Amino acid sequence: MKIFRNPDVMWREEDEYKSRAYEGLEKGEDVEKIGTSVLYLNGMMLSLNILGTEIWKRCEGSMLDEIVSELAGIFDVEPIVLKKDAEAFIAELKEKGYVRYG
Amino acid sequence: MSDMDDFLPGAPLTINWAVTNKCNFKCSHCYSRNDPSDELDINVLFKCIEGVAKAGVLSINFGGGEPLLRKDLMEIAKFSSQNSMRVSMNSNGFLIDSGKAAELKDSGFSKVGISIDSHMPDKHDNFRGIKGSYERAVKAISCLSEAGIETSISTVICKINHNDVDALIEFAIKNKVKNLNFHNFKCSGLGYSNKDKLDLTAEEWRDFYLHALKAKHKTEDIDISLDDPVIALLGANKNDSMVKGSICGKLSLNIKSNGDITPCGFIPMVIGSIIKDDLKDLWINSPVLERMRKKTPKGKCVTCDHYTECLGGCTARAIALTGDMNNPDPHCWRHES
Repeated sequence: MKIFRNPDVMWREEDEYKSRAYEGLEKGEDVEKIGTSVLYLNGMMLSLNILGTEIWKRCEGSMLDEIVSELAGIFDVEPIVLKKDAEAFIAELKEKGYVRYG
Repeated sequence: MSDMDDFLPGAPLTINWAVTNKCNFKCSHCYSRNDPSDELDINVLFKCIEGVAKAGVLSINFGGGEPLLRKDLMEIAKFSSQNSMRVSMNSNGFLIDSGKAAELKDSGFSKVGISIDSHMPDKHDNFRGIKGSYERAVKAISCLSEAGIETSISTVICKINHNDVDALIEFAIKNKVKNLNFHNFKCSGLGYSNKDKLDLTAEEWRDFYLHALKAKHKTEDIDISLDDPVIALLGANKNDSMVKGSICGKLSLNIKSNGDITPCGFIPMVIGSIIKDDLKDLWINSPVLERMRKKTPKGKCVTCDHYTECLGGCTARAIALTGDMNNPDPHCWRHES
C-alpha cells in the first residue's frame, strides 16, 4: 500500500529545531520531544519530531517497507521497532487526514 | 507527534493580510471600514511579501475591507503564490462573476471564503447593508466552483442567525461549498458599538455551540469549523489541535493595510511593522505575543478545570470588553465555582 501526503497540508521544516535535534542525536541525547517540522491543515498544527519528519518527507507514494528501509540507514534503531513505530505514526496521520493510502 | 508544551514555530504559519480597508458594504459589525490607515504601494507590498515568504510563512489570507476593491489584488496574489505561499481570500462576493473567478484562479487563489450570514436573502441583505448582496454572494460561490477554486461560507454568528444552525448547514451543502465556518462575534470596531444589538449572552453562546457541535458531528457532507476557544468547555477540540486557546500569535498574525502588525484583526495592539521590522524577530521576541502565549488566569479562570484547554477563551474579546487579556472571555458561560 502506497502512502501519499494530503495535498491540502502545508508544511515546513523548522531549521533551528532541526539543527538542535541533529546535534543532540550526534551526542546520543533524547531528541524525541524536539519538533523539527510543522504540518498545518484546516487551521490546526501538528509538530513532528525528527523521526516523524523523515517519515513525512517520504510519504510521496512510497510503501511502508521502503520508508523503513531508508530510515534504518539514518537512525540507530532496530528495524522491527522502527517498522512498528512508523506504522503506528502513519496510521495516526491517516486518521487525522494528513495522509492517504493509494 | 511531539509534545507541544514548549514548542513555538520559528515564524507564523499563516498571515491574515488586510490589503485595503475600503468596502462596498455597510455591515453593522465591521471592524475595519472606519479604519483610516493608508494602503501600501504595490512595490512596497512586494518587498514585504518577499520577506514574509523568506521567514517561512506558508499561507496568506487576503482580507480587508473588500480585497477585490484593490485594483492590483491579482498581481499581489500572483506574486505571493510565485513566492511559494498558498493564497486565499475572504470576500463578500459582490464583485465576483465568471470572469473575475477565472482571474482569481489564474492569480493563484486556491480558496475563497464568501461571507453569508443567513440562508434568507432579506436577512443577509439587511445585515450586510446592501440590497441584492445575498444573490451576488450565492452566484459568486457557483462561479468560483466552476473556475476550480475551493469555496467556503463564513458566517458571523449573532442575534440574527444563532437559531438557524440547521438551515445554514443545509444551505451550505446545497451550494456545494467545502467548509462552513461559524465565526464568533467580535466586539471590535462597529461590532463594539453594536454589541448590545448583535452579540449573544453567554448562555445563548452555550446553546448555540451545543447545537452546532451536535450538527457538526452528524454532518458528513461538509466540514464545519467553530473557531472559538470557549468550546473547550463542551469537551470539543481536545484532541484536534496541539494549540490551546486562541491561535492568534501562536500560529498566525494579522497585517493591516498600512503594514502594521497586530496579533489578530480584532486586537488593536500594534506589535511592529512589516515594512520596518524583521518578522521572525518580532514573532519570537514581541512582549505582547509573549503575554498572549503565556496568559495568567484571572477571575473565574483561576479555579476552572477547563483553563488548560481554553486558556481563557478569545483574547480579542477579553481585551475589547474588559481591557485585560488575562480576564475570562465574556462569552464564557461557566459560573465561578
